[in-house]
Parts: sequence; structure tokens; C-alpha cells
Amino acid sequence: MSVDITLTINGQRRALTVEPTDTLVSILRDRLGMTGTHKDCCMGICGSCTVLVNDRPVSSCLLLAAQIDGDAVRTVESLESKGSLSPLQEAFLTFGAVQCGYCTPGFLMTATSLLEETPSPSRDEIVEALKGNLCRCTGYKKIIEAVESVANA
Amino acid sequence: MSGCRFTAAKTVAEAVDSLVAAKGDGHIIAGGVALVILMNEKLLQPSWLIDISRIDELKGITVGADRTIRIGAAVTHREVARSSEIAAVYPMLTEMASEIACGRIMNRGTIGGNICLADPQGDPPVAMLALDATFRIAGPGGKREVPARSFFEDLYVTALGEDELLSDIHIPAPVTNTGTAFGKFAARKAMDYSSTISTAVSLVRDPNGGGIAEIGLGLGGCGVTPVWPEKTEAVLRGRKPDDETFAVMRATLADEIEPIGDSLYSADYKRRVAGIILTRTVKMAYRRTEGASQ
Repeated sequence: MSVDITLTINGQRRALTVEPTDTLVSILRDRLGMTGTHKDCCMGICGSCTVLVNDRPVSSCLLLAAQIDGDAVRTVESLESKGSLSPLQEAFLTFGAVQCGYCTPGFLMTATSLLEETPSPSRDEIVEALKGNLCRCTGYKKIIEAVESVANA
Repeated sequence: MSGCRFTAAKTVAEAVDSLVAAKGDGHIIAGGVALVILMNEKLLQPSWLIDISRIDELKGITVGADRTIRIGAAVTHREVARSSEIAAVYPMLTEMASEIACGRIMNRGTIGGNICLADPQGDPPVAMLALDATFRIAGPGGKREVPARSFFEDLYVTALGEDELLSDIHIPAPVTNTGTAFGKFAARKAMDYSSTISTAVSLVRDPNGGGIAEIGLGLGGCGVTPVWPEKTEAVLRGRKPDDETFAVMRATLADEIEPIGDSLYSADYKRRVAGIILTRTVKMAYRRTEGASQ
């Protein structure tokens, strides 16, 4: 059977017909062509697919779209405005917090949520918030420094 | 087309009706953080998903004037972790919920879902065993109650019938001089499915003499189910929390538990780690009892 849902994705209302077993990440990437949200482990371990649902980070690989009818979803595509990257995205470039880039959207969304809830987090709070996101290139130091620079700005 | 049915249940009765109609093929989904892994891995192709994540009856945390606690099954780990009312009664529950995986799992995963999954490494079941919680279960015949200590039957098998669901959790109030603590040993802090050992302790200090008057324990990663180690509890009762007591406790524990060896740690290694973590957790719980001098 199909399920009719309405999601607000990056501020835009979208009426969608989904299968009960469709995950949010598959709807974003395969249906809507929004490939900024990356798909990797599909087990909630790596954090690559992190998006915000009603302002809180979730694993979009473990979330069935049918379960969040009416909710607001924000993806990495929402961070830039009028062609300019967000301060956090700029900081990732400045601090070299991006190498292969696969994990980056997940880190950006997790950190965005942290900074919205706690505008001036301590280093420990940043490390705690990011502990569920894996990066295999940068070694985390530069990512943490990038978030810290925005936190102290 | 997946051929899967989907019911967004609005009431517990509607969820139970769907379970009955599904004749054993219904799968309850709340946060989905465990069930959807099985679907992604193609280990489960559900034919009927019954969503209980938006049922009001399954929400909410209530701490009574008598300090008993009621937690709805669909309450998220984040809500448990952030409840100041819970922290004031049982700090162990706050520690437990705060250390489950990471933020994005805590935001979706529910305490009831974790208990019903009955993963031997899950944390909420371990806390419920130590606190002697009672689970209220809804089914076609109405509600019934099952103590946490007889809920976990075998590997991923619980006392839940195929047309039943967990509705809420009831935790008794602490008596005077109670201290609680939660301990955990994990290969990666943000990941709970690999070689995790967890220990939950609720103890009552004897005001006359300072011994352990009463104790409740729960263990994760120490067998095929979350473990309630009755023999280890028994050797602690009436004893002072000194080195000799802990040596006896560790010896009893090593005999009582049957951890499963995995690619990271052998069963014997886990047995030793469990003794060390439990020693620390009992000491911490003792220090938290009212009037403890340590």
C-alpha cells in the first residue's frame, strides 16, 4: 500500500506518496534528487545521512518517511542562502575540515543543530555532540576547530 | 511496491486491533532505530508496520508525590536523559539514557522499543532489572503487568505475546538511604552494538553499621538476555563494601554470567571487565546514599 504524506523540506511543502518501507534518505536522494544527504552505513552508526527533523538531528537512513507526516525536514542544501555558504560551511573550508567530503553533510547538520540549541558550546560539548559522526580523513581535530571558530564568533 | 501495510495508530486500542488483524505478521514500530536496520539489511521484510510513535497514551513521564515513576513506552531516550524529575529520584536513569549511542539515536529511539528489542547489550533493560520495574502490557484482553525480572526470556525473546505491546513502565520509589549508579564499558562510545558491558546498581545503605542492606543489579553484555544476577546480589547483602566483599562479588559474578565472545573481546575478557565495572558502579551507588561518609 502507499501512504500520502506532506513534508516541509527546507521550507517548501511537498506532498508525497511513499511506500511504508521508504526511508527518508531514499526519498530525499532517489525521489527528490537531493543528493546532499549522503547514504553510507544504513545502520545509524556513521552519521553521514544526518538531517534535522523538527530541528533535531536524526539518522535519515533509519527513519521511515511515512512516520513523519507533517514534520519539517532540513538538509544540508538549506545551509547556503542566495549562493553564499553558511558561516559554518565557510569555517569547514577555512580549517581544512573537509577532505573527501563524504561525511561532511552529516557533520554540518549535527553541528548546525548544536549551535542553534547552544550558541556558545564548550569544546567538550562540541566533542559530545559530534561523537556519533564518523570521519575517516581529517582525524576530527579540524572539524572540532571549525565548529569552535563559529561558536566563538 | 513493497506490499507492506502501514497503520499510523492513534490509540493503544487501535494498535492492538491491528496486531490482532495481522495474525502474528504485525510489527510495531516506534523510533525505528533498531527495526529499520533489520529492514535495510534485508533481514526483515515486514508485511504490516504499526506505527505507535504518535500515540499520546504512550508519551509522558510522571513522577508521583510518592516518587514512583511512570514512563510511557514511546518516550524517547532524549526525554529520559533530559528529565530533571527523573534525575532527582534516580540519577542512574539519567546516566543510562545520556549514554545511549548518540544524539540522533536518542532523538528517535524509545525506552519501550529498546526494552522490547531485548538486546543483551541494551541499556534500559539493565536499569529496569536493577530497579525492579514493572512493565504494563496491552493486549486484546486488556492490560496485564509483568515484572522486568521475568520479562527477558531468551535471545531477543520476551514475555510479550504476538498481539501485545508494551504501554508503560512503572518504577518503584526509592526507600531512604538508596543510591543508584550506571556503569558502561564500550569499544566506541557512540555505538552500543559492539562488545558493550553495562552495569546498573540500586542499593540501600544500612544506617546502622553502613553495610549494604538491600541491592538490585542489572547487567548488559553478560549473556543472551539482559541479566538479573540474583546470586551476585545475594552475596552483597549484609556486607560492607570493602575489598574482600568485592573479591567475593567478582568470583560469584564470574560463575554466574555467560558473556558471548565476539570479534573484539573473548567471553573470559568480558567476564573480567564486568567484575571491574560492577565494582566501580557499586562503589559509586554507595557513595550516593544519604549520609555516606566516603
